[in-house]
Amino acid sequence: MAKRKNVLPGFSLSLGYTLVYLSLIVLIPLAAAFIKTTELSWHEFWAVVTAPRVVASYKLTFGASLIAALINAVFGLLTAWVLVRYSFPGKKIIDALVDLPFALPTAVAGIALTAVYSANGWIGSIIEPLGIKVAFTPLGVIVALTCIGLPFVVRTVQPVLEDLEAETEEAAASLGANRFQSFTKIILPAIWPALLTGFALAFARAIGEYGSVIFIAGNMPMVSEITPLIIITKLEQYDYAGATAVAVVMLGISFALLLLINALQWWTNHRLTASR
Amino acid sequence: MPQAFITPTSQYIRYNTKVARSRATSEPLWIRWLLITIALVFLSLFLFVPLAAVFTEGLRKGFATYISAIVEPDALSAIKLTLIAAAIAVPLNLVFGLAAAWAIAKFEFKGKSILITLIDLPFAVSPVIAGLIYVLIFGLQGWFGEWLSNHDLKVVFAIPGIVLATIFVTFPFIARELIPLMQAQGKEEEEAGLVLGASGWQIFWRITIPNIKWGLLYGVILTNARAMGEFGAVSVVSGHIRGLTNTMPLHVEILYNEYNYAAAFAVASLLAFLALITLVLKSYVEWQTAKNALRNEVHKLIIRRESI
Amino acid sequence: MSIEIRNIQKNFNSFSALNNVSLDVPSGELVALLGPSGCGKTTLLRIIAGLETADNGSIHFHGNDTIHSNVRDRQVGFVFQHYALFRHMTVFENVAFGLRVRPRKTRPSENEIQRRVHELLELVQLDWLADRYPPQLSGGQRQRIALARALAVEPKVLLLDEPFGALDAKVRKDLRRWLRRLHDELHITSVFVTHDQEEALEVADRIVVMNHGKVEQMGSPQEVYDKPASPFVYQFLGNVNLFHSRVNEGKTHIGDIEVEIESFKETQNSPALAYVRPHDIDIQKELNGQKPAFSAIVSYIHSLGPLVRLELQRDDQFEIVEAEMTREKFLQLELSVGSKVYVHPRNVRVFLN
Repeated sequence: MAKRKNVLPGFSLSLGYTLVYLSLIVLIPLAAAFIKTTELSWHEFWAVVTAPRVVASYKLTFGASLIAALINAVFGLLTAWVLVRYSFPGKKIIDALVDLPFALPTAVAGIALTAVYSANGWIGSIIEPLGIKVAFTPLGVIVALTCIGLPFVVRTVQPVLEDLEAETEEAAASLGANRFQSFTKIILPAIWPALLTGFALAFARAIGEYGSVIFIAGNMPMVSEITPLIIITKLEQYDYAGATAVAVVMLGISFALLLLINALQWWTNHRLTASR
Repeated sequence: MPQAFITPTSQYIRYNTKVARSRATSEPLWIRWLLITIALVFLSLFLFVPLAAVFTEGLRKGFATYISAIVEPDALSAIKLTLIAAAIAVPLNLVFGLAAAWAIAKFEFKGKSILITLIDLPFAVSPVIAGLIYVLIFGLQGWFGEWLSNHDLKVVFAIPGIVLATIFVTFPFIARELIPLMQAQGKEEEEAGLVLGASGWQIFWRITIPNIKWGLLYGVILTNARAMGEFGAVSVVSGHIRGLTNTMPLHVEILYNEYNYAAAFAVASLLAFLALITLVLKSYVEWQTAKNALRNEVHKLIIRRESI
Repeated sequence: MSIEIRNIQKNFNSFSALNNVSLDVPSGELVALLGPSGCGKTTLLRIIAGLETADNGSIHFHGNDTIHSNVRDRQVGFVFQHYALFRHMTVFENVAFGLRVRPRKTRPSENEIQRRVHELLELVQLDWLADRYPPQLSGGQRQRIALARALAVEPKVLLLDEPFGALDAKVRKDLRRWLRRLHDELHITSVFVTHDQEEALEVADRIVVMNHGKVEQMGSPQEVYDKPASPFVYQFLGNVNLFHSRVNEGKTHIGDIEVEIESFKETQNSPALAYVRPHDIDIQKELNGQKPAFSAIVSYIHSLGPLVRLELQRDDQFEIVEAEMTREKFLQLELSVGSKVYVHPRNVRVFLN
């Protein structure tokens, strides 16, 4: 596998350990999922993964994830902008708190959001009389997914925004561009790959999310039931093959997203290093 | 999830280059405050208000109820199990992270980028699926199910399954933190150690580890937070046996589903507190790396004026 | 300790970094590996150190094959281009490192380590920096600490990779004189890599000129400068005037001047390149008949510093000739731009094209 050009010790040991551990913890167990689905015929597999209740869950999972990622793209960009460009009291604390969804257990986020957005919660009691019902509806799923995906866009865009040279904007201004033109023609193209990466990360994370959603979603079949919950439900009914079939569909989509994200990140780095 | 979560600490070695922005490259005051307000409202709706809710809900029925919810035997055993799972998962992933980063950052070999992508895999997998795959292998119907039950061993619906699921979901964090850091540092210092007669382990402990200690700490902190808070994967493999296979997040779920909100939020507040400590530690690590970089920079400026 | 390098071959994928390189480094000498970037000089140095392994060939230290001894056992001191000081250790701990990692049996006592390190820091005149960290040092200081660290293990061979490459011009000059004095004191067999011919000529006992993974010439600075073995060496070491000409039966022509070259007696009408250093260009105001010369017009005068450089436009060809002379001679000749002069090249070196 490797051609040794290097006198530093420990190559075979470290690579060997890496491969063994990776195989035992990740690769072999994941392969198990694919092997399990072969117990089903193609016909059975197709019937399971296209059952109406499962299809409804795809629609909800992907739709809500997409909307949540879009919300995060817009407001995450705005948050990153505010944190990099402006100063205001408490900025450092707020900057640190942006990472909270990374560190906060999803179950805690789930029950907290439910408490806040339910009819008698702090926010729910304000918006429910206006006719906006969040908890136990698909809207609640979007709220939960927005919360857990929040740091991704902020944290990918922020460093790029910080490295942006003020000179380019000054040059644009000296050439007669107004602030809006500077933003759309100079700043946005520069942060575009990072923004796209952050969006894709938030989207990928949202698709697999379970803990925060199940509390706020209400989990009504055909309406507010997400795909990971379908898997759990099938497992609880000892329908291992069915659960695995749905899991394999999700895995396929997740892998595709992972490849896309890697390509996006390569693109970002490539652009950054090429310009240096 | 990937990279953003584990922004390498090296990225934080930035100096505060903030210069007073001239009018040409800034917005009018009212726009600035409008944008700041929108950002704060957004963060409040999705972060600050829910966080505050955890603590107020937990204390709603008074401090005595809060304490009793935490010292109750089932809660204590959930805390204990959570600590055990983290205490096993974090060191294992730490050793793996170091080995993977050493191989990837210090050596050239074919298939390296494939390996990096494979290490990222657990990020992309839904935690529910992470739990499912271990059920498929170690469950009663699974590959080793029969063998395990013949030998009276239990993995799924027992502590080993919980530990495995925890390892899976926190698998890449330390490796992804260390790889870019060690790549940026190159291997000249290690080579210098080698020429000076140091053995492999001496190089590793005396040169490599001190150079990556902050990044390493950062990775451990994040891994630990994730390990203690994992819900979906653990939920699948635990079997929810009270007092035996419940971790803190699972205990929260059970209390919540029993409409015992005050107790649920009391235990949840412990986890939220842990998350806040994680963020404080993380900020401290970032501050340390930035401070070191800055101090060295300042010294260089002073020294440059002195003679060589 | 002498180093004998035999038939070293090293490829990186399809790129041949070193192609059958053989050379000897005599005991106690300071040898420069000189060449443009990418010529393989750093690779050769790293192979001597054991940091790379050659695909083929052998390296003997004082007659002993090193093939089976790894870097740790070779007892070489290596100074890295960017110093590779341990960032997290003080200057003192950096220098002490090589002693501290020894197996317990051969490790000196703490007192002995203290004494040795301070001795070395005094040798490099930086004892007062013992408690600082590397990032707090200037480039020149780091360079000297890196050297002290390499010397701490009492190496039999000292290898330096572009030791002054990262320093600014003034510091470079000071440091290379200092290195030369240090070598005269210690007499450790030393090899250093450089792309700066001035540095090599000033510091080294012996220069190995390399190009495209091959040794072009080895010899004392005097030899390689005065008797370059190839056009490459000629051009790489200092400024040079190049005349395209032909060689026929031991004779070649530069303008109207006939130059005899004994070694090409047998050559029949072959294209050739003739090289003359600017300080070997003789200039007279009058043609005095004794020396053959061609005429030219002074087109430019650089009169900064002790030497005056002239650019001369040849009358017979559209070609510029560069000349160098002392300020005294220049004033004597009373030259100005536009003056007509007669040019006589001395020490012409001819290579068949």
